[in-house]
Amino acid sequence: MTRLDGWLQQATRRLSKDSATQVRAEIQEHYESARQTAMSGGATADEADRDAVATLGDARTANCQYRSVLLTAAEARVLREGNWEVRAVCSRTWVKWVLLAIPLAALFTAVGLFSTGSLAVARVLVVMGGGMAFLFGTPFLPVYTPSRARVFRVVKWVVVVAMVLLAFGHDALKYSWLLVSCLWPMFWVEWTRASIRRKLRVTEWPKQLYL
Amino acid sequence: MNFKGTLPTLILEALRHEPSHGYRIAQQIKERSRGVLDFKEGTLYPALHKLENEGMVKSYASVEEGRPRRYYRITESGRRVLSKDRAQWREMSQAVTVILGEA
Repeated sequence: MTRLDGWLQQATRRLSKDSATQVRAEIQEHYESARQTAMSGGATADEADRDAVATLGDARTANCQYRSVLLTAAEARVLREGNWEVRAVCSRTWVKWVLLAIPLAALFTAVGLFSTGSLAVARVLVVMGGGMAFLFGTPFLPVYTPSRARVFRVVKWVVVVAMVLLAFGHDALKYSWLLVSCLWPMFWVEWTRASIRRKLRVTEWPKQLYL
Repeated sequence: MNFKGTLPTLILEALRHEPSHGYRIAQQIKERSRGVLDFKEGTLYPALHKLENEGMVKSYASVEEGRPRRYYRITESGRRVLSKDRAQWREMSQAVTVILGEA
């Protein structure tokens, strides 16, 4: 393994495949130029190689900076696999209508139960219907500008908090350990999407980044 | 010399007159500062990517002396940010000079 290979291995740690390829190409290009300049100044091949790698600096620092501007492997996975709900909903026309009809039916039933006084069951149905409507209905919403996306995300979190409060009521704090362990994948995906939004230009955003 | 935070401005300044590639930008900054701003060149590219993500520079592939190169050119938004940064820097350096001159 050459000095440059060692440097690149460290600098591309945890980056996505495409980002790592990009980093390798640009650093290789830079290294060749630095090496050529050093050799034309009278340095031996080994000295030129050592100097060219030394001028790149600490690979770990570079890796840290690269990870803040280029997609990491985890973010690339979220981009690849994060739109499963869109794919699931849109895979078949009948699936789409069934998935939209179930939450609507749950919400209508809940209204009926509220009027008859069965509050506990109605509350569960509202939470279930609201959650499903949000999960399966979002791909059909006209959210395709950054400002609409911001509004949508605020509404989304308000709905999530409202659902939790509706489902658990005064016990929400008591069951916070359960909520955190159930909702952490959602928090993690949200955090990762926020990071991806900073790294990609708006024109490159897939639909899921708006949601 | 530690010039953390000013690298993006220096990159934009290096690209003000003509598009350039990473290695030339690094050399230009070092030469124009007479070697005072001797930074680690591995940190240049993350800064260039950040500027590109923010729409201040655009990159394109080109060939120089038979070697493929990625060139960067400043955008209109980059020029606006550069002139703002320049004004802020002038103001700040004048203020520091006044303080240090009085000390």
